[in-house]
Amino acid sequence: MARYRYPVIAESEVTPRELFRQRRRFIQGGAALGAAALAPGLLLPSSAYAWQESLADRLEGDLPSRGFAGGETLTPRKDATAYNNFYELGVRKSDPEVYAHKLITDPWSLTIDGEVGKPGTLALEEVLKRETLEERIYRLRCVEAWSMVIPWVGFPLADLLKRHAPTSRARYVHFESIHDPENLRGQKSSILDWPYREALRIDEAMHPLTLLAVGMYGEVMPNQNGAPIRLVVPWKYGFKSIKAVVRITLTEERPVSAWMEQNPEEYGFYANVNPEVDHPRWSQARERRIGKRGKRETLMFNGYAEEVAELYAGMDLNEHF
Amino acid sequence: MSIANGPVLMFRLLVLASGLLPALWLAWRWGQDDLGVVPEEAVVHLTGRTGLVLLLATIAFSPAFRLTGWVGIMIARRQMGLWAFAWLCAHALAWMGLEQYWAWEWIWHDMRDLPYVRYGVVGFVLLVPLALTSFRRVRQAMGERAWHWLHRLVYVSAALAATHLWILTRADYRLPMLVVAVVAALILFRLVDAALHRR
Repeated sequence: MARYRYPVIAESEVTPRELFRQRRRFIQGGAALGAAALAPGLLLPSSAYAWQESLADRLEGDLPSRGFAGGETLTPRKDATAYNNFYELGVRKSDPEVYAHKLITDPWSLTIDGEVGKPGTLALEEVLKRETLEERIYRLRCVEAWSMVIPWVGFPLADLLKRHAPTSRARYVHFESIHDPENLRGQKSSILDWPYREALRIDEAMHPLTLLAVGMYGEVMPNQNGAPIRLVVPWKYGFKSIKAVVRITLTEERPVSAWMEQNPEEYGFYANVNPEVDHPRWSQARERRIGKRGKRETLMFNGYAEEVAELYAGMDLNEHF
Repeated sequence: MSIANGPVLMFRLLVLASGLLPALWLAWRWGQDDLGVVPEEAVVHLTGRTGLVLLLATIAFSPAFRLTGWVGIMIARRQMGLWAFAWLCAHALAWMGLEQYWAWEWIWHDMRDLPYVRYGVVGFVLLVPLALTSFRRVRQAMGERAWHWLHRLVYVSAALAATHLWILTRADYRLPMLVVAVVAALILFRLVDAALHRR
């Protein structure tokens, strides 16, 4: 359905990213200088843009890239950033892009606590400094029966968890999103019990496919897609992949997610993509690939059965939906 | 029905506009490629919402007439009802063509298995005899009494439409709540009015 409007800008006309970025830094520097000249006391602390700047620099280097979507075509970036479920920014698919600027991501810190030997709260730049970034191309399947193919940039969640030494009692990993009702319009209404919360079993969290993503399409994560740091669990429905994470808590008891709380009949703890188990209100057998015509059949575990099916061996997936 | 006085004509033009303008707006936005990332979905939603609003408006014509006593309202009612029906036809076609892409086995599967589709289909099918008997000659042939009985189905259809919308809503219930409130108010008015003016 994508129809391009002419004139299309020639590749040669596009400003190279490096030039654009230099220009931006120059302007920002100029603005900071100007502000400093007018009111020296207002000079921004040097860390104000720390994580964005350093992450953008790293994304310009060559990151290792691996495809996990069977070579399927990437969803156009303009679609992946304009059709989102991010209820903090509004319930319509177009809202997150429109209200993206309302998500304040700088400064950002991440707390890791609960059943870990080394708990702590770290500035995002500290977290990122420790990790090796890579690009991973995954399918994303929403519980609403649509899907995309997205090149994420991030690092395995396991890498981060191991640094904080989970104890033997850590059986689940609980995630919490930003809570900022003053800026986030969705959090002013009670569609969900804010903040958004999600959880994984520890073996799901430690699985090598489970990612903490900080970028997509080779760029810093757009706000509407869950900046600055979000979970990506490609074999589960999209709502499990919590956005704008501020806290990761390891627990002994199984946590209750925001969606389970809102409607336990419809949203289970596992929420694995499964064409054979329908949502009570609609079928999960097929999906609409965004940007393409028609419907395609949904794959078991979203096509990651080979990698993850063993996690659920012997479980009745009708019951543990 | 040829009372061609000014206010009636104006009112009928207003009804015409309410049926036609959403179609022009939709066509224009389709042409501009301005229906969002998934235009198919937008068309299904917009046709359904317009049809529902026009259906509720049609039902509201009767209490509006009771309250104002202005005959122009009743003259334009059939026209409004047919616009609502046309939009709901478009909605059904859009669902089959742009949501299901004419996959008949899936159209049948969803009609059978999904409650929200079932409610929608039944609500729509109930409107078919109403549209067919909306013409003056048929109405006269039927007799007023039978016609009025049959056309009370519009309330059932509206209630089913509200249920249809309620079920397919995922998180934000403001619109379905509003629709349910309007349908309830219209039914309540009808019942109270009938009790007060038992004919």
